[in-house]
Amino acid sequence: MADDSPQLLPGTLYMLILRTLAGGPMHGYGIARRIRQCSAEALEVEEGSLYPALNRMLVKGWLKAEWGTSDTGRRARFYRLTNDGRKQLASEAGEFNKLVRAIQMVMKTA
Amino acid sequence: MSYPGEMWRRLFSLGRRSRFHAELTEEMQFHMESRVDELVQSGVPRDVALHRAKREFGSGPRIAEDARCSWEFRWFEDLLADLAYAQRALRRNPGFALAAISCLALGIGADSTIFSVTTSFLLSVPSARDPGSLISLQAGGNSSSTVADYKFLRNARIFESTAGTNPEKDVNWRNGDESLRLHAASVTDDYFVTLGAPFELGRGIEPGETNTVVLSYRFWSGRFGRDAGIAGRHVVLDGKPYTVVGVLPADHRNIVGYGFSPDIYVPVLRDDEYVQFYARLPGGMGIPAARERLRVVLRELDRIHPLQGPIQGWKRDNSETHVAGVAGMDILASEQAGPVIAFFGMLLIVVALVLLVACTNVAGLLLARASARSHELAVRLSLGASRGRVVRHLLAESLLLSLLGAAAGLLIDAICGRLIGNLTLPLPVPIQLVIKPDGRLLWYSIGLVLGSALLSGLMPALRAVRRDVNVILKREQRAERTWGLRGALIAGQIAVSTVLLATGFLFLHNLRRAVSMNPGFDTKHTIWAAMRLVPEDYKDQSRQRSLVEEALHRLRSLPGVEAAAVTRRVPLNDNCKEATNLRTDLSAASMSVTYECNDVGPDYFRAIGIPLLRGREFTADDRAGAPAVAIVNESFARMIFGARDPVGHTVTTWGPIRIVGVVRDSRYFTLGEKPHPALYIPYLANDEPVALNFIVRASGSPAALVKPVADLLGRLDASAAVETKPLIRSMGLALLPSQVGAAMLGAMGVLGLVLAAIGLYGALLYSVSRRTREIGVRMALGAGSTAVLRLVCRHSFGLTAIGLAIGLAISAFATRPLAMFLVPGLSTADPAALVGVVTVFGAIAVLATLVPAVRALRVEPISALRCE
Repeated sequence: MADDSPQLLPGTLYMLILRTLAGGPMHGYGIARRIRQCSAEALEVEEGSLYPALNRMLVKGWLKAEWGTSDTGRRARFYRLTNDGRKQLASEAGEFNKLVRAIQMVMKTA
Repeated sequence: MSYPGEMWRRLFSLGRRSRFHAELTEEMQFHMESRVDELVQSGVPRDVALHRAKREFGSGPRIAEDARCSWEFRWFEDLLADLAYAQRALRRNPGFALAAISCLALGIGADSTIFSVTTSFLLSVPSARDPGSLISLQAGGNSSSTVADYKFLRNARIFESTAGTNPEKDVNWRNGDESLRLHAASVTDDYFVTLGAPFELGRGIEPGETNTVVLSYRFWSGRFGRDAGIAGRHVVLDGKPYTVVGVLPADHRNIVGYGFSPDIYVPVLRDDEYVQFYARLPGGMGIPAARERLRVVLRELDRIHPLQGPIQGWKRDNSETHVAGVAGMDILASEQAGPVIAFFGMLLIVVALVLLVACTNVAGLLLARASARSHELAVRLSLGASRGRVVRHLLAESLLLSLLGAAAGLLIDAICGRLIGNLTLPLPVPIQLVIKPDGRLLWYSIGLVLGSALLSGLMPALRAVRRDVNVILKREQRAERTWGLRGALIAGQIAVSTVLLATGFLFLHNLRRAVSMNPGFDTKHTIWAAMRLVPEDYKDQSRQRSLVEEALHRLRSLPGVEAAAVTRRVPLNDNCKEATNLRTDLSAASMSVTYECNDVGPDYFRAIGIPLLRGREFTADDRAGAPAVAIVNESFARMIFGARDPVGHTVTTWGPIRIVGVVRDSRYFTLGEKPHPALYIPYLANDEPVALNFIVRASGSPAALVKPVADLLGRLDASAAVETKPLIRSMGLALLPSQVGAAMLGAMGVLGLVLAAIGLYGALLYSVSRRTREIGVRMALGAGSTAVLRLVCRHSFGLTAIGLAIGLAISAFATRPLAMFLVPGLSTADPAALVGVVTVFGAIAVLATLVPAVRALRVEPISALRCE
């Protein structure tokens, strides 16, 4: 774990979690590991923000949680996207892509 | 992500706190173990991996707390906790709780009762399927039109269905040996189809039927003992048999509104009967579209059947054609309901004031309680509770009080509503309100609860937290300010109750004036016998005339009868104003005059006790065919002839009329009216109506003559409905506004007074008990009982005087709009009412001061000094 890993952009944690879960249900640890791997170890989701975020998303109705068995055979809580969550992902991803493109354009041309 | 869904999930989570915690702990445990496994796999020794995972993970409880936060329903949970605490606190202090709750119950009960009556009178929704699509029609601005016009409109088929009703029709019901006049509504045969209202039993009058009737619940239960087998039975109305086919339920609301409730519904029989139009809009048609289409049809109607009005050339003014919904606010706009709305508005304001007084009482109680609890509150504040949190905690207590008060108040409302529903008002039209709790009442009560919680609780709560914690914790005694917040509360309360009481007094005085007002005729020795003949039996005028002559002849020979006469109208119950151009034989100039008119028979003035000043009464010779004669009253004589004696002169309207007599002025329409000119013409000179009115003058008490008169008239024609009563009993209509006003406002005034008296008494008692120590010191230092008494009295009398002064000043202005409800000559700044209010409050102040003052005197200086 590199100390110089960039901070998450504010407000992107929900989107990352939603995108990660779009592939299928996953437990909390799995979500954190997946984000780290996919970002080539550049993004680190801290447990201190992961679990509160997951609970807020449960309250908003984007996720559902069920207990299941992990690949190591232990009982784990799996999170799954709801329809509302899928809609939220689509809108957040669209917004984010627009924003990134706009920033890149400014950075390249200005 | 809907907000309601989120609320719901949060609410749901409230009950699963411990499970949530266990799950979260397990989840975090799993996370940590997975991380350790991963580290071990990558070659890190197990104990090092364990440490590292723990360090990375950070504080478990902190994460758990953060995660829990997102589920939290902070204010709601706090509210529940506060309410639970408040409930325990109230239970420890039952006396306080009872006092506060009963104050609020009285206030909220009075308020919601008046609200229920107002909405059910003014804004009731008629009993019908989908009342929103029902409309009332006024063709050419006329409130009713003929059945012939109705048929034309129905056949035009612009609406889904069209109905007509004449809600004010009388029929004679033959019940065994007697005939009774019933309040009937005649309806077209598709009235019940259009309405689609439910039935208690049976069905409505169906298209094509002309001999079926529907009963109201009241008539069915009052006269048929709720006979379940009523359907199919026969009733004889106006000599014709009808079959009962259905009974409406007890809560049926007639389409006319205003609590209008006829006894029986009969089919319309003739095409020249006048009915009010109602229609059901087809789906998608709005009111403007309906109005346009109605106008087109009415133009067509005017072309085919020009309107045959009572006056030649009377035309329907199509631009006045009016269409309005029958439910909701439309009824307020469509009727000339101004004075009625004003009256109910005034009542609502008055009960709001009563509630305000009740809230002030509770505020006073809470204030006293908060200062008794100041030590506890100071401990809470010093332990770190925020001021907002303590305020909320105190508000929860007043909210709980208001909730309990509202529950008790709504019980009062339900009882009053039932009483009012069973009340029969002395009105010539059948009015009966159906008062049922509904959504409007629910919202209104919620508003009342929140309003009274804030009104009574906010100020004491804010004051409780504003004090210096250090001072209270050290139990330092500070001198109470004499004119502090509590004093202001008491003064304000007295001011508001003064307004209430002044209004109550005003209306009581008004009632006394109205009752004692002389109508100008004798109500003490006279009987009014109304006799309604069946129209079909008296198509021949001469039959009716001989009946009247026979009746008068027999009445006059009845023992105890001094005089008897027939009249078209009975004053104060029915009147007729005529406006016409008139000239006299003294000058050629014609003048336009408005006067009261009545057709009276021979001996009328002697029978009813209006003094004849000049000339003669009508005789049996003043009849159709004889020269036209008239009798006028003083005002008429003065207006037309000045100081000259009018007897022998003629006035000319449609023909010359010779004046044969002058009588004294009397009242015609209301007791409070100014003297009006009046013109009487002979009863026998015109066609006779089927409704006969006999005035009988008794030499003794009229009560003993009521039965013989009724029997005598009943024997003349068994099919006629006879109602006989002393004339004084028929003054109900004229006195009703004064009576209702006096009863309502008097009751509210007394209620406000009682509440204010309790408040004043409690507050003074409390303030004296707070000053026990001070009084003890004063007495120990040699103050006499007079000095102590003066001290206590100065305080309470000062407060009372300030409150009274403010209240009287307000009521002098605030009651001004009430002048429209008062008899003439009675001003809203009624000295009698003012004196009454001052006396009552003075007495209460003395009483409320005396008890605490005596207590203060009994204080043993030593024990007072030792206390605390």
